[in-house]
Amino acid sequence: MSREQILANLRTSLNANRPWLQAEAERMPHEAPPFVLPAQDDVVGQFVAELAKLEGKAYRVASADEALAIIDRLIEETHATSVIGWDLDQIGLPGLPELLAARGITPAKADVRGEGRKARLQELEPIPICLSGAELAIAESGTLLLRHGPGKPRLASLLAPCHIAVIFRRQLVRGLGEALALLAQRYGDEIFGPTSNLTFITGPSRTADIEMTLSLGIHGPPQIHVIVVEG
Amino acid sequence: MPQTIAFFDRVDHALHDSSLQTALHRATTRFIGNRAGAIGALSDADRLRDQARAIRAHALAHLDELLPQLAANVETRGGHVCWASDGEEARRYIIELARARGVRSIVKSKSMASEEIHLNEALEEAGFEVVETDLGEYIIQLAGETPSHIIAPAIHKTREQVSELFQQHLGMPPTTEVPPMIRTARQALRQRFLQADMGISGVNFGVADSGAIVIVENEGNARLSTTVPRIHVAIMGIERIVARLADLGVMLQVLARSATGQKLSVYTSLISGPARPGEEDGPEEFHLILLDNGRSRILGGHYAESLLCIRCGACLNACPVYQAIGGHAYGGVYSGPIGAVLTPLLQPDLPDAYLLPQASSLCGACQEVCPVRIAIPDLLLRHRADAVKAGKFHPVEKAAIASYTLTMTHPAIYNAGGKAGRFFSRILARRGRFRRLPPPLHLWTKQRDFPALPPKSFREMWAERKKQRQSSS
Ligand code: SF4
Repeated sequence: MSREQILANLRTSLNANRPWLQAEAERMPHEAPPFVLPAQDDVVGQFVAELAKLEGKAYRVASADEALAIIDRLIEETHATSVIGWDLDQIGLPGLPELLAARGITPAKADVRGEGRKARLQELEPIPICLSGAELAIAESGTLLLRHGPGKPRLASLLAPCHIAVIFRRQLVRGLGEALALLAQRYGDEIFGPTSNLTFITGPSRTADIEMTLSLGIHGPPQIHVIVVEG
Repeated sequence: MPQTIAFFDRVDHALHDSSLQTALHRATTRFIGNRAGAIGALSDADRLRDQARAIRAHALAHLDELLPQLAANVETRGGHVCWASDGEEARRYIIELARARGVRSIVKSKSMASEEIHLNEALEEAGFEVVETDLGEYIIQLAGETPSHIIAPAIHKTREQVSELFQQHLGMPPTTEVPPMIRTARQALRQRFLQADMGISGVNFGVADSGAIVIVENEGNARLSTTVPRIHVAIMGIERIVARLADLGVMLQVLARSATGQKLSVYTSLISGPARPGEEDGPEEFHLILLDNGRSRILGGHYAESLLCIRCGACLNACPVYQAIGGHAYGGVYSGPIGAVLTPLLQPDLPDAYLLPQASSLCGACQEVCPVRIAIPDLLLRHRADAVKAGKFHPVEKAAIASYTLTMTHPAIYNAGGKAGRFFSRILARRGRFRRLPPPLHLWTKQRDFPALPPKSFREMWAERKKQRQSSS
């Protein structure tokens, strides 16, 4: 009933104002520019620099081995005995399963659905590391785009204080417009078919709510480490 | 007219609250600087803003098609949609849902729409435990207050005040350092998330062609609220829509830059329905509340342009009056220049809402920074004319705003006045803190407390400024 009433009101209102709104709408093409800042030659360098400005860490490495060494060091630093992660083959870093196995780490599944939801969440809570890949990364803002879904849980970039993400050179685009166009090209109408959630992550969780003092990690990870594999 | 006195008192109170003055000064200056830097760096900022305006105008022009499209797509993805004519319907839907599902505790991430309909009070009255999880909102909830700024709701609190609240409510050991306060809040709120049965969020944009809602934030509390509890309820004003996913390529860029000067907010979540089969996490249920509450009618009148607003907060920071009095003085959920336009429309039951459109010097700074270029001063003038027509003003107030009545009917005078006002506010802003409101708003402040005349005459300031300009060129 309310639906019909609201729609009827909208139609009446638009009888009066549609013409000027439509005229405003047509003043400009709506197509988003592929990127909005002056283009740089070295997109990897740009991504690394942007993330650093946000107090995130980005590493450009030439090989999978170098990437593994960084992950190994972070595991040691956080004394992790478990990680909340994507399915490892969704991350696609050669040698990662072996590294974790050698460290005695079995990635915890973020399988919180169903009856034991709250209990399972409490089990996941103490884990110090989130481990994910990404769909794309945006150079000019230092952003990761995660398309969640089966094997790619949202909690794997959210719950723990240290988020490690592995991406590859080919996943980098310059701007947001380009990223959205690429998504549409890849998935068409099925962007939200198998998944309920896409998330853009630009740096560590932050707040300035206490006296405008910048603080990291109020809710999401205070640390974000993005490893860009160029090889 | 007791309500009127209440409004004047709020203004006066704000001007005398020295910690509020410091906080406002710090926050607005920071936001203004950040925004200017971020917008200035764009290859073509003007074009991007024109595009943002066009995209929003298109959405409004086709709202009667886009809303049903959004609703149908949400339902196809397994979500539920509630069309709510007013706050009462929205509140009832959420309370009945929570009861039916045996919900006990609810986590909320910041939502202006839910404040507009006083959702928290209703939920608490119905016996649910409701926790605001945005740090600023959490702080003011602990303090039993209301937000003072769209983007920074607790800017009026000093760190000492926050520390005291945390010691009292969360058992934090005494400290005035910010990091331990952040850690305390993180731990306390994390447990609230993990134990919550329902998460309630706002919506920055509904995307019609994808059946998705967009939520932007910096803290991660919206991600947790919409991921961890088994039920997610999103509340969206019906005007907050864009036609296509691709439109976000423009809208997200102008929103983040205008709000906080970021290139993108830390987290931008696009959510379409509940978790799919095979997904390990995410909510089992997704409910989208489409809140009208007067908007469908506003769309047909001469305030329709205000519905283009994307709630970035840039006009608040830019406004010399807001800089001086902060958000509380406005009395409604929406403050600052756009709040002065929206509150009389969306919260007409507030007794002194009609006075808010007076809370502007018509300097034009708001329109200058607005990412969708809303002609806010024009809308304020319309409100003034409407209020006068409706006979709302007391004779004394009438005298105080007589000059405006004149300008309303004489565009040439309005333009001249606007230019002068803009100039005047800039000078005051340059000279540091705004201690008094620009004329004729200074009539609000009690004259015994404030000198009636500015420290320097307009002419003196003009001469000084000219000299400065010559010496710097
Ligand atoms: S009116 Fe414009 S500047 Fe003000 S909050 Fe809305 S979009 Fe932002």
